[in-house]
Amino acid sequence: MFNQLTGYLSNTTQTPGEAANYTWALIYILIVFAGVSGFVILMNWGERKLLAHFQIRLGPMRVGPHGLLQPIADAVKLLTKEDIIPDGADKTIFWMAPVWVVLTGFTTLIVVPFGPTHAVTDMNIGILYMLGISSLGVLGIIMAGWASNSHYPLLGSLRSSAQMVSYEVAMGLAIVSAIMMTSFTAGWDGAGTLSMVKIVEAQKLQGTWFIFKFFPLGFIAFAIFAIALIAETNRAPFDLPEAESELVAGFHTEYSGLRWSLFMLAEYAGMFAVSSIAATLWLGGWLRPFPNWLAGPTWDLAFAVFPGVLVILVGVAAFYNAAKMPKLAALKPQTIGLWVLGAIVLLLGVFLASPPVAHRISDIEWFVLKVGLFMYLYVWYRATFPRYRFDQLMKVGWKVLLPIALGVLIVTGIVGLTPDLAAWAKGAR
Amino acid sequence: MKVATLLRKIFLIDLLKGLRVTFKYQHPKEIYTEQYPLERPVIAERYRGLPRMNVNPETGETLCISCDLCAKACPEHLIVVESERDPVTKRKVLKNYTFDVSRCMFCGLCEEACSTDALELSQDYEIALYGRENLILDLKRLESGPDTTEYTR
Amino acid sequence: MKDTMLETNRDFYGEEWGEHGPTVLDASELILNMGPQHPSTHGVLRVILKLDGEKVLGTECVIGYLHRGVEKIGENRTYTQFAPYVDRMDYVAAVSNGLGYCQAVETLINVEAPPRAQYIRVILAELQRIASHQVWLGTHALDIGAMTPLFYTFRDREEILKVFEKYCGARLTTHAFRIGGCQYDTYEGFEKEVKKLCDFMEPKFGEYEELLTTNRIWVERTKGVGILNGDDCKALGVTGPVLRAAGVKWDLRKAQPYAAYSKMDFEIPTGENGDTYDRYMVRIKELHQSLRIVRQAVDTLPDGPIMAKVPKVLKPPVGEIYHSIEAPKGELGYFIVSDGSLQPYRMRIRPPSFVNLQALDKMVRGMLVADVVAVIGTLDIVLGEVDR
Repeated sequence: MFNQLTGYLSNTTQTPGEAANYTWALIYILIVFAGVSGFVILMNWGERKLLAHFQIRLGPMRVGPHGLLQPIADAVKLLTKEDIIPDGADKTIFWMAPVWVVLTGFTTLIVVPFGPTHAVTDMNIGILYMLGISSLGVLGIIMAGWASNSHYPLLGSLRSSAQMVSYEVAMGLAIVSAIMMTSFTAGWDGAGTLSMVKIVEAQKLQGTWFIFKFFPLGFIAFAIFAIALIAETNRAPFDLPEAESELVAGFHTEYSGLRWSLFMLAEYAGMFAVSSIAATLWLGGWLRPFPNWLAGPTWDLAFAVFPGVLVILVGVAAFYNAAKMPKLAALKPQTIGLWVLGAIVLLLGVFLASPPVAHRISDIEWFVLKVGLFMYLYVWYRATFPRYRFDQLMKVGWKVLLPIALGVLIVTGIVGLTPDLAAWAKGAR
Repeated sequence: MKVATLLRKIFLIDLLKGLRVTFKYQHPKEIYTEQYPLERPVIAERYRGLPRMNVNPETGETLCISCDLCAKACPEHLIVVESERDPVTKRKVLKNYTFDVSRCMFCGLCEEACSTDALELSQDYEIALYGRENLILDLKRLESGPDTTEYTR
Repeated sequence: MKDTMLETNRDFYGEEWGEHGPTVLDASELILNMGPQHPSTHGVLRVILKLDGEKVLGTECVIGYLHRGVEKIGENRTYTQFAPYVDRMDYVAAVSNGLGYCQAVETLINVEAPPRAQYIRVILAELQRIASHQVWLGTHALDIGAMTPLFYTFRDREEILKVFEKYCGARLTTHAFRIGGCQYDTYEGFEKEVKKLCDFMEPKFGEYEELLTTNRIWVERTKGVGILNGDDCKALGVTGPVLRAAGVKWDLRKAQPYAAYSKMDFEIPTGENGDTYDRYMVRIKELHQSLRIVRQAVDTLPDGPIMAKVPKVLKPPVGEIYHSIEAPKGELGYFIVSDGSLQPYRMRIRPPSFVNLQALDKMVRGMLVADVVAVIGTLDIVLGEVDR
């Protein structure tokens, strides 16, 4: 049985879903779920600390060393809150809305390719599946606004859903232009692919990440997708539906306690999902940077070890901060906790950076690094930009992004087909 | 000029400039938070905090001569000076001095009106209390000065 | 509170503004209450909006939630005793309040503060103008959605408040000036510190501009929003940066110079269209001009006494006086009626925010709901002043 389990790991060329290996598929599902949940918790802490540093303040410092236990404290608080359901609310839809949003948010993660075989499954319509399930998430928001039986959440949820639907159009067009680029792989005979793993393999075979392909077309498509990303997840500067200083509060006004935390969980999971689409389609998924320019086994080893080295640096930073903590009796548990955390992270980093592990895991690490970059950009944008008014938001989505996306699509097609057209013209002569 | 503005619009230069400003402020040296109560702020000398009555450092007697100018100067009329005339020296001797901090604006008019160095507003700002009864300060409390509680956690 | 919009037959729709008759109250109109509790930090202001979908048809402001009876208190305090109360009206710019009051009483008793006191007053008043505009900028940007300028402006304002604390002993309710001059002389190292402050501040203003002035989101949110042209300003009595952004070059520091302003060299920035973006630009330019004035005043600070000869027991002659200054928010005026006794007979204060708030209705008609918050922010009101 153990041999059967490890047997899969040692010689595998497919994801468990494709190989119909149910046990490993289940294990992968649990790992992805736990991983993304842990990521959401980390992101909660990270957003507060990062936002605070942008605003020249410190953020949470008391609950745990440097506020590391703050998300746990928040979770405990939310779980122990009174569960309030408004009087005239539709009870079934009221409890169903957050569940729906969480379900759709996490179901999209099945096809996210952390590595060539490190996905739960690899459907041959992967991208279409992810887009479709994210669109289903909009229904959850409408349900939330409707079930609250109060006209401010209703207006907020309608605005939010209108915003998400409009930006999905631009997102879709940008995605189509990236998929079109997969079909220009030599040897694939003009057949593009919607499968997430094969999109990254197309980038590998073409030797360039799609963000740099047909420069600047790929970059413009990426930029459009990056802007539509932010509007899709209702984050600044497109966060009017959930802004605090506006009259109409958001769709999750009437939700408190656990239900609200489910909405936040779904929001961060949605951020993770759309960032992973962006990382897969344009930033080369799990591929390491500079495969052609810095090629060779030593460079391969260096890049594989690099994420582990980053984790080691985080551990060293934890040690440094622990040493800098004020020497008071009250802070002794926190200081000890930070030393222990630093030691654990250091060991983890050494484990991840050791070559045998690094070679197997480096795909996942690079993918997570790229998604982390998007998360940093999210928080950076939130700290910097004012928010758009709703009509200006819709104007940007329909009148600016959509024509540019259409233009990029057409031009990509023409540019990509030009060698074939030239060959056909020459052949026809 | 039009081309330059058009290029600036396309390449989102204005947004990038804003992003650069916020990025620059991430450096730890820019952090301005004081972690009170671990780090306490530096208070200026002229700070108008809780009042205190000064005593003669050698004899320990109060410096107040019961002239009642502080009570007359206070906009809120919250100082009560009780004195009696000493039959021997024919001067007023301070019997009791009450200062009601609950209505005090910390405006400093009493401190300015005082003809000796008796009444001054100290640099004490940690004056939060649990009950209102402790807000009417008598002479003993005013002379003892700041009385901060040291917290260990 | 009685819902005045529905229960009086006052002509709410303002025929004097050129609208013909009230609209029919049909079901498509929504009365929305932007209640006294605001997410924005302007104080306890209640605005009743009449909406048609997203468009605003009319507004009514309900004030009085912060009324403390300051004018009535003034009738029961002596002139020296009333000075601390004045700081608490516009609590964001306390030094300007104190300056206006002290100058009004000095004009009443016909006393002039010595030159050194006047220069110190100018320095502190201009520093207070910078601090007040920084509070305005932070909160206005926060209303529009940019949350970081708030922290940057408040952090920079801390340096100014440190100077105030070292000078007079309090950061916010300063009670800095006395009738007849200044109580405190400048402390040891005042000039050097203020000069260092000016050098520290100048690049910070550039940073605020980098974050906001050319930012396309900011420009779209503020250009064309809340337009108030010069004639309407004059008709409503609006003063301050709102008036100057509408193109009218009127500043009391140049028109009716007081303190040492006649000896200072500075410009009055004006705008063109009178929209929110112009008001923003006018206040940013005023920041730079204030810095210029502070530098000049510190360089040319004369020596001498700081307090004129004022009797200890102040009994002004019978009469009345109106004296106004250019506070950061507009024209702050004091009308004092004296009947010859120790306490004034009537102490009337003309707060700039109160008069500017009347323009809200005119500015917001036809705008969207999201713009109401921006317009309230750009008027720069402080409820302590509006309600007194």
